[in-house]
Amino acid sequence: MPASASVSSSSSHHRASPDLLVRLGSTDPEVKLRALREVKNQIIGNRTKKLSFLKLGAVPAVAAALDAAQSELLIQSAAALGSFACGFDAGVRAVLDAGAFPNLISLLSYPDDKVVDAGARSLRMIYQSKLAPKYDFLQVENMEFLLSLLSSENEPFTGLGASIIIHSCQTDIEQNTLCHAGVLKKLINLLEGSLSQRDGSLESLATIMKDNPEAASKFVSESGRALSSVIDLTKDRYPRTRLLASMCLIVIRNTSPCHLQDIGIKTKLVYLLLELLDDPGQVGEEASFVFSSLITQKEDLQKLAFKANALDKLHNQLLNYSSHPRRFQGILLVLADLCSNLESCRSKFLSLKALKLVTNALTNDNADVRAAACICLRSVSRSIKNLSAGHFTNEVIVIPLVRLLHDPCTSVQVAALGAIGNIVVDFTTHKSTFVKCGGLKLLVQLSKSMDPTMRLKALWALKNLTFLADNTCKEGILLELTTPLLSSLICDPEASVQVQALALVRNLVDGCINSVEYAFAENDIILDAIGRQLQSASKAEIGIQGMYVLGNIASGNEFHKDAVMHQLIPQVNDGDCSFIVKFLRSNDSQLRTAAIWAIINLTFPSSPGASSRVIKLRNAGIVSQIKTMVNDPSVDVKLRVRTALGQFMAFSDGSA
Amino acid sequence: MSLFWIVIRQLAEIEAMATSKKVITKEEWEKKLNDVKIMKEDMNKLVMNFLVTEGYVDAAEKFRMESGTEPDIDLATITDRMAVKKAVQCGNVEDAIEKVNDLNPEILDTNPQLFFHLQQQRLIELIRNGKVEEALEFAQEELAPRGEENQSFLEELERTVSLLAFEDVSNCPVGELLDISQRLKTASEVNAAILTSQSHEKDPKLPSLLKMLIWAQNQLDEKAAYPHINDLSTATLEDPAI
Repeated sequence: MPASASVSSSSSHHRASPDLLVRLGSTDPEVKLRALREVKNQIIGNRTKKLSFLKLGAVPAVAAALDAAQSELLIQSAAALGSFACGFDAGVRAVLDAGAFPNLISLLSYPDDKVVDAGARSLRMIYQSKLAPKYDFLQVENMEFLLSLLSSENEPFTGLGASIIIHSCQTDIEQNTLCHAGVLKKLINLLEGSLSQRDGSLESLATIMKDNPEAASKFVSESGRALSSVIDLTKDRYPRTRLLASMCLIVIRNTSPCHLQDIGIKTKLVYLLLELLDDPGQVGEEASFVFSSLITQKEDLQKLAFKANALDKLHNQLLNYSSHPRRFQGILLVLADLCSNLESCRSKFLSLKALKLVTNALTNDNADVRAAACICLRSVSRSIKNLSAGHFTNEVIVIPLVRLLHDPCTSVQVAALGAIGNIVVDFTTHKSTFVKCGGLKLLVQLSKSMDPTMRLKALWALKNLTFLADNTCKEGILLELTTPLLSSLICDPEASVQVQALALVRNLVDGCINSVEYAFAENDIILDAIGRQLQSASKAEIGIQGMYVLGNIASGNEFHKDAVMHQLIPQVNDGDCSFIVKFLRSNDSQLRTAAIWAIINLTFPSSPGASSRVIKLRNAGIVSQIKTMVNDPSVDVKLRVRTALGQFMAFSDGSA
Repeated sequence: MSLFWIVIRQLAEIEAMATSKKVITKEEWEKKLNDVKIMKEDMNKLVMNFLVTEGYVDAAEKFRMESGTEPDIDLATITDRMAVKKAVQCGNVEDAIEKVNDLNPEILDTNPQLFFHLQQQRLIELIRNGKVEEALEFAQEELAPRGEENQSFLEELERTVSLLAFEDVSNCPVGELLDISQRLKTASEVNAAILTSQSHEKDPKLPSLLKMLIWAQNQLDEKAAYPHINDLSTATLEDPAI
C-alpha cells in the first residue's frame, strides 16, 4: 500500500481541491486510501491547509473512514483527524462535531497495534485542547480504563492517560478519586520511563496535587523516592523536563510547604527558572508563568529572586520579546510579582527604565499583554515613595490607562482599574490630570457595570480618588457620581461593593464641615442608606466603614451630630437593641474601635448639645455597655473607651 | 559516563601532585592507565549507542549478535529513520516528509522549525532542477504562510527565493543553499527529531567523550608533560615533549 505514496507528488502542494473530497468518499478502498494519505500529508505542520480543508468539509469525510474494516484506512483516517486536532481548536471542534470521538476510542481495542497507536495519538491531540469532552473519573469503568492506559508499556497509551488527567482533573474530588484509585503510584513509575512518559507524569502529578494537601502528602508518602526523583529531574538534560519538574515541586511547596523544608531548594528553583527563561522556545515562554507561581505572594522568594538579578534579566527579556505576546505577558506578570511587596525591586525597576517599556505595553494589540502591563503598573505603584515622586501621574501613563477603562476585554478593564486605584491616591495636583482626561466619567460609568468585580474595582478607585482630595475635587466626584447612585451602591447586592461605597463616603465626608454636608444632599438619602446597611450589616467590614462615616459626620456641627444620633437611636424603638450596641460587643476589635470613635465625637464636651446626647446614650444602654469595656483586650479600644468615659463624666451627676 | 570520570579522577590526582610542571614518562603513564579498570560491557554499550544513533543498522545487528549487547531501541525503527534521512540526502524531500508522517504524525505537527526547513529544502530542490514556475508557486502556497507566522522563517524564505534572481547560482551569495551540505544539515535535523520522538538522545555519546578527552588533556598541559593522544583514530600515546 505505501507504494502509492508518491503517485500524486507533482500536484500535491496545490490547494485543497473539491475533487479530493469526492475521492475521500470513493467506494474503491485504493482511491480512498490515497486520498486520506494526501489529506494527512498536506495538513501536517500546515495550519493554513488545515483551515482550508476544514472549510471544504473534509473532516466528516475523513472521519467516515473510521467505519472501515481495513487497518490501513483506519490508521490514515485517525492520523489525519489527529493532525486536524493538533494545536488547532477549530480542528478539534470539527473532529468532535463529526462524531469521531467514540470511534477513535473504539480503535484502542482493535487487534492491530498500529491502529491502536494511531487512535491513541489522535485522542491525545484532542485531549490537549480545552474543547475535548471532560473525562468523568468518577465512573468506575473510566477509572479502570485510565489505569490500564497508565500501566501500558506503549508510549501513545501512557501519553493519552497523562493528557486525560491534565485536561480533566480539576476539582479536589477528582484529584482525590485519582489518588485513591492508585494513579499516583502509576505516575511515579512513569517517572522512570522514557522522555515523553516522564514529562507526562510530571505534568499529571502537578495537576493532581495542585492546592490539594491530601494528594501532596499521599504522593510524598507513596514511596520514599517519589519526591527525590522529581528533585533529580530538575537537573535533567532536557529543558522541558527540568521545567515540568520544577513546576511539580512548586505545586508541592505551595500546597504543603512542610514537605519541602530545605532552604536550598528555594534558591535552586529560582536559579533554575531564571535559566529556563533564556530558552528561546516554548519552554522559555512557560517558564515565566511557572516562575510567577513560585514567587507570587511570597516575599522570601521575591527577595531571593531580587538577589539573583532577576530584574536585570527580565528587563532584557522585555526588550527582546515584545513581539511575542505570550512571553511578553509572562514577563510582565513576573515583574508584577517581584514588585508587589519589595521597595528594593520597585526602585530597581524604575532605575532600569523599565517603566517606559511597560507603559508601551498598555497599547499592545494583545489583550493579555495589556492586562499584564496594568497588573505590573499596579505593583510598581504600590509605593508611597514612588507615588509622591509623581512617577505615574504624567499623561504618558494616565491617558492610555484611562483609555483601557473602555477596553473591549473585561479582564483588561479590571486590571486597569487596579492600576488607576493606586495612581489616584493622595496627590491633589495629579488628580486633575486624571479627571481632565475623562477618567472620572469612566470610573463612574464602570461603577454601574453589571459585573460585580468591575463595580468593586471602580468604586475602589473612586474611593482612592476621594482620599484627602480638596473640596473642588470632591464636588466634581459627587456631581458625576450623583447622590442617588451613591446611595444605591451603598445598598448593592454584593457586600464587598457595599464596603467600598461606604469607604468612599467616609473619604468624602472626611475633613472640613463643608465636606460633612455631602452626606445630607437630597434629603439625607445617603445617610439613610448607611443607617439601613448598618442595621442589617452582614460583614464586620461594612460596620467598620459605616461607623467611620458616622464618626466623621459626628465631628461636624450640632445638626450633623443630631442626625447621627437619630441613626444610632431610632425614635420608635421596636425592642431590638441598636446596631451600635451590637458593634460594641463584636469580636472584631476594629469594629469596636470604629463604634467608639463615633460616640467620642458625639459627646465632645465643648459642644452645646453634648449633655443631652449623653443622656440619650445612657437611656439607650450604650453608656453602660461602654463601661463594661474598660479592660478591653485591644489596647486601641481600651484607650478610646477611657476617652469616652472621661467625656461622659463631664456631664454626669456623679453616678457615672 | 563512568569511564570518563575515572580518567578525570586520575588526571586530577596527577595534577594535585604537580607543584611545578612535572614530567611523566610513557612507562609511568601506561602503568597508571593499566590501573584503570574499565568494564567491557560499558565499552560495548558505547559502541552500540554510536551505531544505533548514527543508524548503522546492519552493523548494530552484527554487533548485537557478536557481543551480546542489547540496543536500547527497536532496530527496525532505525531502518525507517535511515530511509527518511537517505531520502533527504538524495533530494526526495516530499518522500521524506511522507515517511516521517507515517512514522509518527506528531513530529512535523509539533515542530514548526523542522517542518519549515523541510519545505525550504523542497523549494531548493525545485530551484536546483530549474522548475522556476513550480518553485514560485510552491513558495507562495506553502512557505509564505509560514513566513507570516514567524519572522525568522520569512528571512530564510527570502534568502532562498533570491536564488532565482541569479544567473550563476553556484557563484552567488546564497549559493551555499544549493550545496550538498544543506541537504545533510536538513537530514540530520530530521534524524534528530525522529530520535527525540523515540525518546532517544539525538547525539551519540562517543564524540562528546572524545571532546572531553581533548579538554582534559588541555587542562593537564598546564600542569604536566605527559604522553599525549594526538591521533584520536589510533589513540597512540606519544612521548612527552620536554
